Amino acid sequence: MDDSAKRLLQRFMRRIPTQMLKTTLEKWSRLTVAQQKSLDFTQSKWALTEALLDICEENKWTTKHISELEMIYVIDNPNQGMWHAFQLMDPEDDAHSVELTQFKEQFKSHLSELIRHVSVKIKKHTDEAVWIRIAWGDSYSRPNHLKPTYVVHYLQTPYVFVTSLTSKQKPLLSQALVLSTRHHAIKDANLSGKKFTAIRDLLMRQYQQAFPTKYPSPLKEKNQTVSNPLIEREQAGPAANRLQMACEAFGDGMLPQLQSAVYKLETKFRDQTNKTMTEREESFRCVVKFASTNLLESLRDCASSGIASTPVTPLLSSIPLKGRNYFVITDNSPGPSSQMHQKTDG
Amino acid sequence: MERQHNSVVRTPLNSVVVQRRSKSKSYRQSYRSCLGAASRLGLTPALTARRLNTSRRAPKSHNITDKVDPEQLTLLLKTEWKLSYVTPLYQFRHTQLKSYSRQLSAFIAAEKQQGLAVDAEGSQSSFRVSFSVVQGMTETADDAETVLIQIHSKPMFAKQDDPQKLVWSGWLACINGNPDYLSSLSKDFICLPLFGSSGPEVLTTLVKSWFQQMFDCCFGPLEISHTSLQWLVALWTNCHTESNIQHLRMIWTLPVTPPLQITYTVDAQDAWELWSSVRKDPEEESEGGEEVEEGGSIDLKEVMRFMQGLKNHFYRHFRLDLSAGSLQQVSTALGSAKYSGRIKVSSDGKNCSQSFSQDTFLLTHTRKDKCCTNIFFLSF
Repeated sequence: MDDSAKRLLQRFMRRIPTQMLKTTLEKWSRLTVAQQKSLDFTQSKWALTEALLDICEENKWTTKHISELEMIYVIDNPNQGMWHAFQLMDPEDDAHSVELTQFKEQFKSHLSELIRHVSVKIKKHTDEAVWIRIAWGDSYSRPNHLKPTYVVHYLQTPYVFVTSLTSKQKPLLSQALVLSTRHHAIKDANLSGKKFTAIRDLLMRQYQQAFPTKYPSPLKEKNQTVSNPLIEREQAGPAANRLQMACEAFGDGMLPQLQSAVYKLETKFRDQTNKTMTEREESFRCVVKFASTNLLESLRDCASSGIASTPVTPLLSSIPLKGRNYFVITDNSPGPSSQMHQKTDG
Repeated sequence: MERQHNSVVRTPLNSVVVQRRSKSKSYRQSYRSCLGAASRLGLTPALTARRLNTSRRAPKSHNITDKVDPEQLTLLLKTEWKLSYVTPLYQFRHTQLKSYSRQLSAFIAAEKQQGLAVDAEGSQSSFRVSFSVVQGMTETADDAETVLIQIHSKPMFAKQDDPQKLVWSGWLACINGNPDYLSSLSKDFICLPLFGSSGPEVLTTLVKSWFQQMFDCCFGPLEISHTSLQWLVALWTNCHTESNIQHLRMIWTLPVTPPLQITYTVDAQDAWELWSSVRKDPEEESEGGEEVEEGGSIDLKEVMRFMQGLKNHFYRHFRLDLSAGSLQQVSTALGSAKYSGRIKVSSDGKNCSQSFSQDTFLLTHTRKDKCCTNIFFLSF
């Protein structure tokens, strides 16, 4: 067992919580029943690592086997690191018929044509997702297994999710992906977050959305005795209306756990009470970041409680509607520099 | 619009009074009664007004490095200090610092041995305490000199001859203290009302309890009020022409479930231009009959107009009212301040310095090319 395999196992052991170790090793299914039994999971991590290193040594396992183990753990616990979403564009006619074996072969061969030292491992997960682990090297050095890139692609969809990718590796990965999925281009989907499941659900619309028809009437008869039924009824109307608009904008029930959204505003400062600034030529540059443990639920609560005015501004409802959380907002005027033209006056 | 401004101005005044009343600490009470007496004695409204946050002197040039040793100043920079207020210290003597160093070292060692306070490994390393005076860190003749406390200790697994490391530091200061209040104190008391600490909470607790036992004083948390944070937004922005603030960053939290945090970062130049656009005309100033000081003064109305401008721009885009939330944190390249009473002053070199006192917050910043310093006074 060489040094890099040893280090990979040690790092893996540091990362994995002890209570998950047993099931992950079972899924790996490389240990014999006797070896599995010999491991005492109540021992310290250090002792367990030593025991595992011995077993690996005995079986002459290499980086290949250890990275397999790491991959099993990452697939089961994808909500770590920073995930970025990408979208494949302009599919060729046969893009819909790309299946796993073909994709696997093509991806590996395209990538190794682009870079000499690279190690790729591809695994199909139960939910149709193809998981790819890439350990990068360069012309002079062997693949570094300690800093792998993980890529998740749902076959026959344009969606790709990536974590730990450097700007140097990005064009290589993009080209290999575009070629092997039979597309012409790939673009940044402007969506990123720590929870892989959340950004996947948001982009692939795998959550409960609300439609106007779902709410038959904002006014409901209530049988409760209230101090002043007239006031109660008068307030119930707008409140129910706000809730409905909030749900229409952000969704109903549990929402994907998106943690942040960033807006880069390059718009003019307009304020009737401030002539000097309104007449100013340049735009008012600022960056606004919204953050919460569940951003969409927070924003829905803002709208339903009245902190945010309803109807919800397109800027905020664009997060679920367009499935992105990074926006550059400029005034709706012709200009090559703007990434997204959005009228901000509502 | 005009009416709205008036109400905005009035609100903080009321809240200041309410806040003071709600605290039952004797120091707070004596402080308040002193204020009350001052206004009854018919002191100039300008003085009272300044204490109550409606107007402040504009930053004036001041060279703090002439007064304070730059090396000592660097000890106060770039560290985030947790602020507390302290009641006057009974029989504290600046001449006894060496003895205090010994006594506090012994006190910490004794407390550790009792196993009352901390982790087991701490008991093996000895703590060395040093008290020192930061000469010149005062504004008026009545202010007591700032006292710096440092605690050094050996790391847990250090070798025999490894040097001790600085593990905790703190200071007590009085800068531009209320002269009426200071002169009303008996000679036995020294007033160093602002305590800043940085380091493990256990040590902070030990230092506080030693002071309480030795000098019969009390410590209490010092929050940086919403109004003070808004003042900082304006005052720091006002600095931009002299020293680049890089950006103006404000963090709000909104009371929704789950809580929403909004970070609003404005380009330094754009923030400054908005700030200049809401400054009052010099004509308007003289009409109001206010005393025109050198460099002018900054009025709370201007601060509120600036905040309103920033909030309006935000609302126009997101239709979300920031007033529904609370301002938690303000930061620029010059420093940061948090509602929780944590404050940090950064610098781009040796030329920046700061000091604090409970009643006043003195922030100084010197330019690289010109040795001038801006001083701001904030009443907490």
